[in-house]
Amino acid sequence: MLVPLRYNLRSLFVRASATLLTVCAIGATVAVLAGMLSLQQGFAVLFQERGRDDLAVFLRKGATSEGESGLTREQCEILAKEVPEIARTTDGQPLASAELFLAVRLRKFDGGETNVAIRGVQPASFAIHGDDLRIVAGENIRPGQDELIVGQGLLGRIADCRVGDTLRINTVTFRIVGTFTGKGGYQSEIWGDLERLAAALQRPVRSRVLAKVAPGTDLAAVQERYTADLRVQPRVESEREYLASQTGDLSQRFTLLGGFLALIMGIGAVFTGTNSMLGTIGARTHEIGILKAIGYRPFAIFAAFLLEAVLLGLLGGAAGCLLVLPFQGAETGTMNQTFSEVTFAFRTTLPVLVEAIGFAGLLGLVGGLLPAWRAARMTPTQALRRG
Amino acid sequence: MASAITIQSVTKTYTRGGESLRVLDELDLTMDGGTFYALMGPSGSGKTTLLNLVGGLDQADSGSVRIGDVDLGELSSSELAGWRAANVGFVFQGFNLLPVLTARENVELPLLLAPLSRAQRRAQAERVLELVGLKDRMDHKPRELSGGQEQRVAIARAIATDPQVLLADEPTGDLDRTTADSVLDLLQRLNRELQKTILMVTHDPQAASYSDKVIHLDKGKLGRIDDNRAASGGRK
Ligand SMILES: Nc1ncnc2c1ncn2[C@@H]1O[C@H](COP(=O)(O)OP(=O)(O)O)[C@@H](O)[C@H]1O
Ligand SMILES: [Mg+2]
Repeated sequence: MLVPLRYNLRSLFVRASATLLTVCAIGATVAVLAGMLSLQQGFAVLFQERGRDDLAVFLRKGATSEGESGLTREQCEILAKEVPEIARTTDGQPLASAELFLAVRLRKFDGGETNVAIRGVQPASFAIHGDDLRIVAGENIRPGQDELIVGQGLLGRIADCRVGDTLRINTVTFRIVGTFTGKGGYQSEIWGDLERLAAALQRPVRSRVLAKVAPGTDLAAVQERYTADLRVQPRVESEREYLASQTGDLSQRFTLLGGFLALIMGIGAVFTGTNSMLGTIGARTHEIGILKAIGYRPFAIFAAFLLEAVLLGLLGGAAGCLLVLPFQGAETGTMNQTFSEVTFAFRTTLPVLVEAIGFAGLLGLVGGLLPAWRAARMTPTQALRRG
Repeated sequence: MASAITIQSVTKTYTRGGESLRVLDELDLTMDGGTFYALMGPSGSGKTTLLNLVGGLDQADSGSVRIGDVDLGELSSSELAGWRAANVGFVFQGFNLLPVLTARENVELPLLLAPLSRAQRRAQAERVLELVGLKDRMDHKPRELSGGQEQRVAIARAIATDPQVLLADEPTGDLDRTTADSVLDLLQRLNRELQKTILMVTHDPQAASYSDKVIHLDKGKLGRIDDNRAASGGRK
């Protein structure tokens, strides 16, 4: 039979200052872990929302991201014209947009500079994205004009990007004509006409071709068809696959960083927990003696103090979660794969909370093992004499 | 029916700093069931050690301690714990109760080890608290009780599972005369009305006078045994 739980629970509150210290140590650790996991969740959602199965991304063979890729103007035209899987408008124009993607240094609102993604697109791009992309202020860019539209995610972060402002890119001055909302990462980009941006940035090479295809199109077969073509050998995947591979890396980095920090801080928290439990057992030796004299077995004593340590951990876990919850939904920026600013929200989901509190309980458990073992091993006479 | 306590050539030695101290030396002693014994002797003579051996809190180096037909030397520490839960109740000098639990919760501690329902446990705790005259104080924490009340709650807890043997180590050592007398009265009543076998360590001759027999211990050896009933011409 076990020692009643309320004995341990109340004892925790009696030794309030020692308990509070441990709760803080575990709470801080859990807050870091939960924070990292929340960022990772926000990041994952950002890209999951955006990826579509009916969009094909053509990159240079061997490139894993737009930043690494490069296709000539001619290669882009070949793909747009020749690939039969690409959808067409009623008047026979392919729904394909060659795009230039580059990060430029821009001034931030709060001082300093950051990298912002600039995307040059062809007119077909807006038909391809359809309702996923909407102009919410001002108007859209016109072909061949030095005009830009700005993703809504950049509004509060980057200076000089409201409608009517001008932005200088190299020697060319562009006018901001509109603001758009788009899915996921597009929100954090600035778009302009492909030819004008290519000229301003002096980049003859395109980054990718984005094209609309029928859902379920076998894109691997498209890639296969070009393996021996001397003119162009693209890497072809769906937008969903492409974005999944882009987040995979960063997502993993968040998890790794979070895990690493939590591990280091966790070791500290375990020691604090062990120390607190050793202290409590030292102070309550006589009580342990009484319980043993009454007839509680060593296992019951072990379980009681281990449970007390786990409770301590769980309290810390709850404290940690309370620390991160106020940040729920807060927007934040980070550098993505191509080192440009993307904005995403902090998402503390239920699984994140469960994981964080579970981790806290585990910290308590590990910290409590030695003290509980020590309490269980004491003989009744030792315990009674020392009290 | 009340089981006897038989101690046969029991030796207990403690080693401290390389020096060994023979606290009990080939001690032989038989105590009848249902009798109230006082155990007296100078400080350090081994009284607590003997009480702990009889209560199964500790084990002898050699010799045997038997309660009824159970040889405590043959039980493992876990088995001893189980045996204690059902067969003995302890009352120590002071600080007997867990401070975070109320009087009733303290009394329920041994009952949790018995196969009882929650309602039975509650009823039994209230019954024994009533027996020691503290039913109205059952929801108080130890620090809200006086020293004498605390000892009475400790006694209630010691008898909660209705064990045959009650062991008390200087239970009135910290109490003033009047309070001590009421606690001793209670112990005597438990012996006379419920036939508990009681072994009580005490320094105080007046406390010892409540018992049936007084065992004197000196340097680990048995001294004389006085019979209070013979001395006072029957039960007090
Ligand atoms: N665990 C122990 N380790 C070492 N010495 C002990 C231990 N327990 C008791 N002693 C010693 O044994 C002697 C008898 O102790 P005890 O039985 O408590 O005496 P009493 O209760 O008669 O005062 C004392 O000298 C005490 O210091
Ligand atoms: Mg003693």
